[in-house]
Amino acid sequence: MLPISIRGVSRRFGATLALERMDLEVAAGEFVALVGPSGCGKTTLLRIVADLESPSTGEVRIGPDPAGTARQKRLLGLVSQRPAVLPWKRAVDDVLFTQRIARRAGFPAAELLREFGLAGHEDKRPHHLSGGMLQRVNIASALAHDPPVLLMDEPFSALDEMKREELGEWLGQELARRPKTVLFVTHHIDEAVLLSDRVLMFSPAPGRVLELVSVPAPRPRGAEFRGHRGFIETTAHIRRLLARAAPAGAAAGGPPR
Amino acid sequence: MTRALGRALVQVGMPIVSILALWYLAILTTGLPAFVIPRPERVFQALIADRALITHHLIETLKAATVGYVLANVVGIGLAALLVAVPVVRQLVMPAAITLRNVPYVALVTVLSLALGDTLGSKVAIVVLAGFFPVLVNTYRGLLAADPVALDRMRVLSASPLEIFLHVRLPYALPYIVSAQEITGSGSIIVAIAAEWMISGSGLGYVINRAMQQYRGDQVYAVALLAALLSFLIYTLVHVAGRRLDWQGAVRDRA
Repeated sequence: MLPISIRGVSRRFGATLALERMDLEVAAGEFVALVGPSGCGKTTLLRIVADLESPSTGEVRIGPDPAGTARQKRLLGLVSQRPAVLPWKRAVDDVLFTQRIARRAGFPAAELLREFGLAGHEDKRPHHLSGGMLQRVNIASALAHDPPVLLMDEPFSALDEMKREELGEWLGQELARRPKTVLFVTHHIDEAVLLSDRVLMFSPAPGRVLELVSVPAPRPRGAEFRGHRGFIETTAHIRRLLARAAPAGAAAGGPPR
Repeated sequence: MTRALGRALVQVGMPIVSILALWYLAILTTGLPAFVIPRPERVFQALIADRALITHHLIETLKAATVGYVLANVVGIGLAALLVAVPVVRQLVMPAAITLRNVPYVALVTVLSLALGDTLGSKVAIVVLAGFFPVLVNTYRGLLAADPVALDRMRVLSASPLEIFLHVRLPYALPYIVSAQEITGSGSIIVAIAAEWMISGSGLGYVINRAMQQYRGDQVYAVALLAALLSFLIYTLVHVAGRRLDWQGAVRDRA
C-alpha cells in the first residue's frame, strides 16, 4: 500500500476550468470516496492520478513517485464504470491477461475468481455473464497484478439498486482481505459513506474541495451500518452540503453520465 | 442429419435450377445466335474439351489474383496501422489513396502495361491497386473502434504500443478486416481477369478475348462460368473463415 499526494492540481480544457487547485493527502490503505455534482471533475481527478491525463498545474505523487512513474511501475489498478474486459476473452484469461501485460504475478487467477464468487464461471466470456458478475470480473482483472493503489470510477453505477448495494458490501469485505489505497468516484452518497474512511466533497464546476468528511466507524462495514447513527448523520450532513453548494437539480444522486 | 443434407441440397440445387431456367428462357425468347447465347450443354462440353487450355490459363489468373490479394492486404493493413500509430501520416496518405481509388482503372492498366509490359508484375499491381483501398479504409475504422475503456486499461498497465495494437486494436478491427476481405477476395479474381482481357497474352481474360475473336461463345461462357464459380468459392471461403475469426459475429450467433 502507498499513500497518494495530490498537491495544487488544476486542469483546464480550453477555456473551461475543470479542476481548481485540488489538494488531498490519502494515507496508505485509506479509502477516499469522491462525491460531487455531475461535471465537477471527479473523473478528471481520477484520470490525472492514473496518469491518463496531465494536470495543467500541480502534481500527483504515489508513494515517492510521480503518477507517471507509478503507472510505469504498474502500481495502479483502474476500475471503470463500463467493464474494460475484452469481449473475446474468457474470465480467467482476462485476469491472466492483466498479469501478463503488467509482468507481475499477483494473485492466482482461478483462486481470485473463486473468492470473487465466480466459481464455475471462469470459462465464460463477457456476453455470458450478468452485469454484476461482469463487474466482479472487471474488478478481478484490475486487481490481478496486486497493485497497491486502486482507482475506481463509478464501478457500480450501471447496476440496479439491489445489485449495487450487494456489490458495495462485497467490495468492503474484499478490501479488508486485500487492503489497498483506494480512490472511489461515486454519485451515491450511501455507497460513499458505507465504503470509505473519508468522503471528499467536490464543489460544482470548477471542482474544488468543498469539505473532507470523516466516517465515524471502522471498515469494513456491513448492511447493518445503514441503521447506525454515524451513517445517518454523515449522509445527512453530506446531503445538506451538496444542496447548499449545487445549483437546483444538479446535486449528487443524479443520473450517471 | 438427413434434414441437414436435404437443406444443403436445396441450397445448392435451387440456384442451379433457377440459373438454367433463366438461361433457356433467354435462348428461347431472344432468338440470339448460338455464338452470343450458346446452350448450357455446349458450354459444359467446351469446359471439358478445352480443359487443358483453360486450366493452364486459370493457373496464370490465380497467380496474379492470389499474389495481388495478399499484397493488397499487406499494403492495406500496413497503411492503416501506420495511420493509427502516426496520425500525421493520414494527411499524406489518404488524399493519395483516394486519388488512386478514383482514377479510372482503364487508365491505370494502360500506364502499368506501358511501364511493366505484359508480366505477372503488371497484373499483380492492378489487383493490388484495385483491392487495397477497401482493406485500408475498413482496417483503419476498425483499429479506431477499439473500446476506450480497454485502451485506458492497457495504458494504466503501461502496455507497449505493440501490445496495445496486437491485443486490443487488432482484435477489435478483426470484424472490419473480415468484411473488407469479402470485397477484396472475390474482387481480386474479377480484376485479374479484366486486366488480362485488356493487356495480357495469358490468363482467363486472355482466353475470353481470343474466344470472342473466334466467335467461340461457348468458350467465353465456359470461362465466365468458371470465373464466377471461383469468385463465389473465394467469397464463401472468406465468409466462413471470417465467421470463425470475427468475435462480433460469434457473439451475435450465440445471442
